[in-house]
Amino acid sequence: MIANATSKTTEHDNKQNGLVVVEMEHLKKSFGNNRVLRDINLVLHKGENLVVLGKSGTGKSVLIKCIVGLVDFDEGELVILGRNISEVEDKELIEIRKKIGFLFQSSALYDSMTVRENLEFSLRRQLRSISKEGLSSLIKEALHNVGLATAIEMMPSELSGGMRKRLGLARSLILKPEIMLYDEPTTGLDPITSKEISNLILDVQKMYNTSSIIITHDIECARRTANRIIVIKDGICAAEGSYIDLANSADAWIRSFFE
Amino acid sequence: MEQSQNQHHEAEIIPEAFSRTISDSLINKFFLEISSLTIFTLRFFKEVFKPPYEFSELIKQFFLIGYKSLPLVGITGFIIGLVLTIQSRPTLEKFGAVSWLPTMVAVSIIREIGPVITALIYAGKVGSGIGAELASMNVSEQIDAMQVSGTNPFKYLIVTRVVSTTLMLPVLVVFADAVGLFGSLVGVNLRGDVSGHLFFSQVFQNLEYNDLFPAFIKTFFFGFAVGLIGCYKGFNSNTGTEGVGKAANSAVVFSSLMVFLIDVVAVQITSLFQN
Repeated sequence: MIANATSKTTEHDNKQNGLVVVEMEHLKKSFGNNRVLRDINLVLHKGENLVVLGKSGTGKSVLIKCIVGLVDFDEGELVILGRNISEVEDKELIEIRKKIGFLFQSSALYDSMTVRENLEFSLRRQLRSISKEGLSSLIKEALHNVGLATAIEMMPSELSGGMRKRLGLARSLILKPEIMLYDEPTTGLDPITSKEISNLILDVQKMYNTSSIIITHDIECARRTANRIIVIKDGICAAEGSYIDLANSADAWIRSFFE
Repeated sequence: MEQSQNQHHEAEIIPEAFSRTISDSLINKFFLEISSLTIFTLRFFKEVFKPPYEFSELIKQFFLIGYKSLPLVGITGFIIGLVLTIQSRPTLEKFGAVSWLPTMVAVSIIREIGPVITALIYAGKVGSGIGAELASMNVSEQIDAMQVSGTNPFKYLIVTRVVSTTLMLPVLVVFADAVGLFGSLVGVNLRGDVSGHLFFSQVFQNLEYNDLFPAFIKTFFFGFAVGLIGCYKGFNSNTGTEGVGKAANSAVVFSSLMVFLIDVVAVQITSLFQN
C-alpha cells in the first residue's frame, strides 16, 4: 500500500549526514475515543517541502501541532533536529521549538497590534539584546521578502486574506526557523492569491533553505510546492511519493485527490 | 397484564436513572471545574515570581484595567453616595438623628457598599472583558501562535492581567469611596446647608481603623478573584464564537458570586477580630 519514494538506505544515509530534520515513528494520538493518529511514520529531510494530503478530520493539523508541541502525542517517537523530544528537558524543548515556524490556517495575527508590532512581539522575546535599529531592519527585510513593505503601520483588520497569510509567514520567518509548518496556507484564498502564496512557500524554501511540512487540500498548491507527498487515511500514512507517482497511483482513492 | 406492569415499572425507573445520571454529571462537572480552577491558580502562583517579567504588558494592563474604569466607577460611586444619603434621611429624621447622616453614609460606603458595588461593576466590565478577549484569542489561535513563537502565553496574558486586577481594584475602591462621599455631601446639601469642611470632619471623626483597613484588604481578594476567573474562563474557553459569549458571561456570573462569598468570609473574619 505504501509507495515509498525514497529507499530505506537513502533515508539512513540522510540521517547519518544530519539531513533528516523531523522523524516520526509510530506516532499515536487520540481525543477520547476518537483515535485521530493511529500509527504515523514520517521523515522530513533538510530543505525539503513535504505536503500532507488527506480528507478533513484525518488528523493532518494534529500531526503538525504534535511537532510544534501544541498537542501532546500519546505514543510513539518524535525526533526533531536530532533530539528525541520525549527525552529532552523543558528548557531544551523550548529551544528546539524556537527553530520551528508555524503558519496557522487563520494566520493567528495579534489583532490588537500593528503589522510592525506583530513582528516585533516574537523577535523581542527571542533576541532580547537586539538594538532598535537592528529590530527595525529585520522587520523591514521580513516584510519586503513577503511583499508587505508598505503595510508596516496597518492593523491586521485592514489587511486582505492574502496579506494576512503573508504577514503570518513573515512573523514566522523573521525568527529564521529551520523547519516551517504550514497549516492549509491557501484555504479561503482566490486562485491568484493561492498561487502567490504557493510561490512564496517555494521562495522561502530557496531563500532560507527551510524544511517544510505543508498541510493542504489545494491540489494546485501541492503540485507547485511538493518535493514529496504523503496521503493520510484513517490515521495512518496511506501513500507516499512524488506528485506524479500519486496522481498515477493504482489506488482509485489516492487518485481521486488529484482529479 | 404482567407485561403492562413491567412497562410501568420501566417507566418509573427510566426518569429516576435519567435524573441520577444528570445529577452525577453535574456533580462531576462541578468538581472537575473546581480542580481545574485550583490547578490554574497554582500555576499562576508558580509563574508570577518566575522571570522574565512582562513589565510593559503589566503597565498596559494597569492603564486598561485601572485608568479606563475610573469614569464608570466614579459615576457609580457618586450616585451611590447621593442616593444612599437621600434614602437614609427620612428614617434618620424620624429618630432625630439627621446629624448622623454623614457618618452613617460614610461607614456604609467605606465598609461595605463601596468595595462590593465597585467589585461587581469591575466584574461586569473588566472580568467579562478579559474573558471575552482571551476566548477570542483562543478561537483565532493567537494564544497558540504566542506559544509557538517561544512566548509563555500564561505569563504574558494571565499573570499580567491577574496582577493588574488585584492591584487596581483597591485603587478604584478608594476613588469610588471618595467620589461616593462627595455624592453624599451633595445629597446632604439638597435639603440642608452643610459645608464640605463640616461634612468631612464629621465623617473622619467617627471613622475607625477597623472601618477602613479590613474593607481595603478585602478589595485585593475581590480583584484577584475577578481577574483569575475572567482569565480562567477565557483561557479555557471552547473554540468557536459561542465560546466567546459563554466565557464572558460565565466570567461575570462566577466572579460576582465569588465577590459575595469572599465578602461573607471577610465579614466573619473581621467580626472575629473585633470581638
